[in-house]
Amino acid sequence: MNFKTKYLLIIVSVCFSLHSLYADDLEKRVREISHKLRCPTCQAMSVKDSDAGLSLNMKQRIRELIQEGKTEAEILQFFEERYGEWILRSPKKEGFNLVLWLLPGLITIIAVFLLILSILRRSKQAPSDELSPLSDKEQHQIEEDLDKI
Amino acid sequence: MNRKLAIFLGFFVIAAVLITMGYGLFFASDPNEIPSAQIGKVAKQFAATTFEGEKISLQQFRGRPVILNFWASWCISCRHEARIVEAAHQKFTPLGAVFIGIAINDTREASLGFIRRYGKTYLLAPDDLTGTISLDYGVTAVPETFLIDKNGMISNKVLGAISKKTITDFLEQQLK
Repeated sequence: MNFKTKYLLIIVSVCFSLHSLYADDLEKRVREISHKLRCPTCQAMSVKDSDAGLSLNMKQRIRELIQEGKTEAEILQFFEERYGEWILRSPKKEGFNLVLWLLPGLITIIAVFLLILSILRRSKQAPSDELSPLSDKEQHQIEEDLDKI
Repeated sequence: MNRKLAIFLGFFVIAAVLITMGYGLFFASDPNEIPSAQIGKVAKQFAATTFEGEKISLQQFRGRPVILNFWASWCISCRHEARIVEAAHQKFTPLGAVFIGIAINDTREASLGFIRRYGKTYLLAPDDLTGTISLDYGVTAVPETFLIDKNGMISNKVLGAISKKTITDFLEQQLK
């Protein structure tokens, strides 16, 4: 093997490795983005997990849009424009959707607050160590019982 | 806080969560109930080559109402509506309507077999391999039909087999 052939082989190997790395990265990004989209046909699944024809088309379109240099936000926007917001598996954190994001946390905070409040009140209302004096009726009842012994 | 009010609030929160979950599970996830993002918008332009080799584009039908139907040979509901759409085409195309059928996720041979079997004669073309037209229209399943008015706006979308009445009502109103 001469000197030129060796260099040529090295260059070809480097190009091949770079291409493989790029392809792996592209597929990783396709998986990430398609995981954020709902399969239009089988709506319980993400586009990533679905093999329905439309999902396969969507994955191919995502691949093309990435190759065109579009960002993830732009790609999600592309599908939202065509399908509506329901195509996104996580509702956007704006407008009425904020209620969906905040409600579980809010309920937990209120529940903890009410629990603490309730514990504090109970501790305040707890009987003190000092015994209250007996009423006349109680005193009379005790004397009666002692007499019976 | 009074005990009764606390109990009432507790029940109220639990009931609200259960109702929301029930709605989400049984109603909101029905694709028929999901409004299309396309309704009320200008129909996206597209070009296609029919199975007979004719080049068509939506642009060339401007000023005419269009019934744009997405179908596939493997789809059962498409068989149910095939003759309805063809009959409507025979009746309304001479009056100025346009019927376009776009086959998606299908092989050319299977589509042609379906066309022959059901005697479809309107403008029929395959979508491209990545489903450009169907994705642009936000198609969720087949059959799905878009009713495009004379101004090029999407007036309605029907998911599932379209009825004769839906086509007739729309076109009679458009062709007055």
